[in-house]
Formats: sequence, C-alpha cells, structure tokens
Amino acid sequence: MTARDDILARVAAAATHRASHPGGHTPATLETGFDRFASRLRGVGGEAHGPVPAWSAGEAASRVVALRADGGSIFAAESAADLLGPGPWVVPPAELAPIAFEDVAVALMLGTVAVAENAAVALLGREAPQRAMPFLCRHLILLVPANSIVPDQHAAQAALPADAFAHHHLTWISGPSKTADIEQTLVYGAHGPLTLDVIAYGEVA
Amino acid sequence: MTQALELAARRTLPDEGAVTRHDGAVFDLRRRRDLAAAEVPDWEALRERAAALKTHTLDHLDTYLERFEARATEAGAVVHWAEDAADLRRIATELLRAHKVERVAKSKSMLTEECGLNAHLESQGIHVVDTDLGERIVQLQGEPPSHIIVPAIHRSRAEIGALFHERMGTPRGETDPEKLTRAARRDLRSRFLSAQAGITGVNFAVAETGSIVVCTNEGNADLGMSIPRLHVACMGLEKLVPRMEDLPVFLRLLARSATGQPITAYTSVVTGPREGAELHIIVVDNGRSALLADPGHRSALGCIRCGACLNTCPVYRRAGGHAYEGPIPGPIGAVLAPALHPAGAALPHASSLCGSCTAVCPVRIDLHDQLLAWRRELPRPRGEALLGWLAALVLRSPSLYRLAGRLGRLSWPILGVRFPGNPAASWLRGRKLPRHPGASFASRWARRGQGTGP
Repeated sequence: MTARDDILARVAAAATHRASHPGGHTPATLETGFDRFASRLRGVGGEAHGPVPAWSAGEAASRVVALRADGGSIFAAESAADLLGPGPWVVPPAELAPIAFEDVAVALMLGTVAVAENAAVALLGREAPQRAMPFLCRHLILLVPANSIVPDQHAAQAALPADAFAHHHLTWISGPSKTADIEQTLVYGAHGPLTLDVIAYGEVA
Repeated sequence: MTQALELAARRTLPDEGAVTRHDGAVFDLRRRRDLAAAEVPDWEALRERAAALKTHTLDHLDTYLERFEARATEAGAVVHWAEDAADLRRIATELLRAHKVERVAKSKSMLTEECGLNAHLESQGIHVVDTDLGERIVQLQGEPPSHIIVPAIHRSRAEIGALFHERMGTPRGETDPEKLTRAARRDLRSRFLSAQAGITGVNFAVAETGSIVVCTNEGNADLGMSIPRLHVACMGLEKLVPRMEDLPVFLRLLARSATGQPITAYTSVVTGPREGAELHIIVVDNGRSALLADPGHRSALGCIRCGACLNTCPVYRRAGGHAYEGPIPGPIGAVLAPALHPAGAALPHASSLCGSCTAVCPVRIDLHDQLLAWRRELPRPRGEALLGWLAALVLRSPSLYRLAGRLGRLSWPILGVRFPGNPAASWLRGRKLPRHPGASFASRWARRGQGTGP
C-alpha cells in the first residue's frame, strides 16, 4: 500500500458519512452600490473613481495614471488596453519573463466582479496572463464594470463567469498590499502594490 | 498555568512592560474582530453554517479527498500524500532537488512549522527565505513564530529595528515601522526575483474544482506562486471545503475573525499550474486521521487558523506564544497538542476555562469543553492526585477544615516571603500573596451576628 492508500483507508474508516451538506447560505441584505464599495475600499487603503461612461474610461485612467506614475513602465494588460484605447500605457509582450515586471510603476487590468461588503475585486486569470504583474507593480489600477458591483461575497461568487477557474488563478484583491507585523502599525506596500485604484465604468446597475 | 509554560513565558516576555505591550497588542486584534463581526447582520448564522459545513466535510472526508485529488490532477497539478512530518520533508526535498532548486521563497504555513520543513531544507543545502514580514523577523531572530497570524507580535519595534540594523543594514536606532517595512520589501524583492521555487500553505482546498485557496495581506504568496516555475503547496488533509459555493462562508469569517478586516488583501484561488510551470500539492496527515477517528476530539480539525481564540485568551495574552509547546499556541494549540505531539499533554491545564475562545471561534469549535475533556483523559500533572485526595479529606471534616484554616492563617505571613523550599514559590514567581483578613469567615460571622445565619 502506498501512503496515499493508507491515509485514505484510515480517513474512510474514521469518516462517519452522517451529517448532510447544509446547503447554501442566504446572507442578510447588505448595502450595495458604488458608494458603499468606494467607502469600503477607502477603509482598506484603496481609492475608487467613477462611475464613468465606458467611452471615457481611457480618459479617467489617464488621470489616475498621472497621479501615480513615479518613473518606470506603465503597462496595461491586453484586455484593459482594448477597453481604454490609446494612452500613456503599453501592452507588455506576452513572452516577457516575470522578473521583467520588477520596474513596473503602474499596471492597468480589468476586474470582473466587485464586492461592496469587502471592497474585493475579482481579477481573473484570463485578464492577467502575466501573473506576476499585479503583484510586482508599484501601483495597480483595476477597471470594473459599474454594474458588476454586488453586495456580498456569496453574490460575487455566483456572478463569476463559468470559466473563472479555467485559467490557473483568480485573485480577489481588496486594497493595496499591507502588513501590520511591526507593533501592529499598518503599512501599505508590504510586497505588492503600494496603492490600489479602482475605476468603475459603464452603466450603473 | 503549568510550570513549563510559565518558565517559557518568562523567556519571551521577560518583564511586566513586555507582558503589558503583548497583552494590549493581542487584545486590540480581539477588539477589531468584535467590530467587524458586528457589521455582519448574519454573523451567527454564518458561524453556524461554517460549523455545519466543517462537520459535513469531516464526515465525508474520504470522498472529498479523492474528489480533490482527481480534479486537481485533471487541472494539471501533481498531488502527493505525506503520512507524517518526515514524509513531508522528504517529498519536498525530493521535489526541490529534482528541479535543482537552491533558493526558495516561502510564505506562511503553520503546517510547515509543525513539520520542521525550514530547518530540514537548510540542512540539505536549500536556502529558504520566509517572505511574510513577521515570519522573516522571527526567521532572522532564529526563533519560532509566537502567533499564527502575527508571528512577531512578541517583538517590539526597538528589537526589530536592532535586528534589521544588524541583518539588513538599516540605520542604527531606526524603529519606524514604515521604514523598516520598506527595508524588508527591498531586501525580499531581490530574493523573490532569484527564487527558483515558491512554497506556500493552503487556507482552503475546494474538492469540486481541485483548487487551492491562499490568503495573504502582503501578496507574498502570490509573488512566490507567480515568479518561480515551481510551486509546492503544503496542506493538512482537513483543509477541504466541498464546493466553490461554500468558500464565501469561510472567506467572510476568516479575516474578520483574525484581524477585523472584511477580507484579506489577496485571496487567490489556484486551479492547476500556470503555463510553463509546475504545481505540486502535498496532502499531509501527521496525526490528523487519528484525530478524525476520535469522536470526542475531531471537531478541532474544523479549525481555519484565524487566531481569534489566541487573541481573546487571557492565558495566551499574558504568556505569549512561545510558552506553548508545539507550533500552534493558544486554546486551539492546547486542544490540538495532546493529539499531535506527546510533549503537548500539559497544555490543556494552561487554561482558566473561561470559554471566551469558544465564544469567538468562527467555526464554533467547543474549545473549552475540549480542554476539559483532555484534562479528564490525560494523566494528571504530578502531585495533583495527592493534592485532590488531601483536599477531599479536609473538606469532608469540619474539624480538619478548621484546623487547616488555623494553620493557613499562622503560616500566611511566612508563605509570602521568598525562601528556599517555600511551597508557594511557584505562585510567588509571578504574583504577590494577597493580604489575609486575619480571621476566618465563620469566626467573623459569629462575632457579627450571634451565629444564627441570615
């Protein structure tokens, strides 16, 4: 017998197969919408902008980029660049090695769903083919459809597209990177981005 | 408090100032947890649901483990099984050797602490850098973490400043947390970029999709997963949740219970390896299947390692994490220790049984009942049986009781003085004897009324 078979045999002998699955949780009704999301995002150290019409997302993004750019590259993931049109950003070549993102000042990427209760934005693998970029950049800007803001994490999970888990990773991002490991003093930019901006665009739900 | 725990506490928190700072820092986390919980109207229903999901999952763990393995494998991950700590160390070492890895960027994993992975890899010539800031501090200090969420909570900014000055070249006397954090960021960035493998823990594993879920605030696990071409994830076999739909229940509870945040800054759901990379998941037993077979104690396997029970525990707050033997301190550590480590048998006695841990546990583990149950099952500490027998003898006899009271009053002033052989010595190490009223309650009552009672 292998370790696998031994372990599974012991677990099977100990598992009682009694309690049934309790089913899905129906959450209490929570406040939702852009304003709630924006105030939550401020609470976790980020900043929300908008909602702006989809046609002016590029202009809004340029303004935020100007606020953050501190020398170094400004990269937009391909899907974000398609939405934004021309601007101070370039699309990084697909074959770039992860360490090439070390000197990225600003990265722009598309978020898919935003959660009002915790300010999390879903960054899907398909929108982030360069997996290291949103973590190595100094400033991250996520663009989310204004009508994708949902009240809670349960609704957010349900709103994900069917292929959400087909591209290696999905990261819920809530505010910039942070730590309070030294005497509980909150410091932004522990490893990843020092700032996080979220621009909501398009029609509000 | 047991004597071993008391002595260990004294080493980590050497004086009253350190104890007060630690107590305050830890209780602040508890306060934040309360505020965060109060913001969720269905908080109690969520805890209830989480507990029911854990019970269901543990009851069907064989099914879910096999499903997880099948789905993870379909997604391109390689699943390994480790019987115990030595097995985990062996598998990890073999994987790293096969990939010619010399430098590893590791993110926080209590399981690898439990299994002594770092020390083993270092002994094999593989250099491991802990990348969570708190973990990095304790790694440079050469000590284990003292809290499962805030590993260096026992260290002051002055101590960390001195350590960074020595090891990272920060200016002497620099104690500003922001500047120290920036120095660590610069230092660790170069280590991330040159790492050939990333090792992470696993917060949750989803059976339905074969995904692993890793939660951090710093983004260090994500860097470890996205730069090197090899990702080794170490998970205890109890980490499963059945469906992706079940995950939000735990995500809503975890960070709020831990630090009062609504969710961690980064919650990554990883399904299979990224293109051109490898993902290896090591599923570890190390005593867990035996705990599962013990109906009286299996509920402890529901723990999601949020640390809420540590933050609220009056013993943990004043003793610090190093006082506990084993990798996990606090109430959950004391509940897990007797099952997982022979040295942990004394820990269930280090509790006041106040029940605060049970009141905050997001998955409703009956922690204080568990501590009591272990006390009944484990051998009693030396001398306790004799003491119990003596007490029973004295309490059964009014004349012996009065005599004991009289002896007690006579010896009280002497017991308060430190001298070799004083039977109250261990009590006096941390406290003063309270002032004695000088007479028994019965005699004062008799003087007050005429002994007729109320």
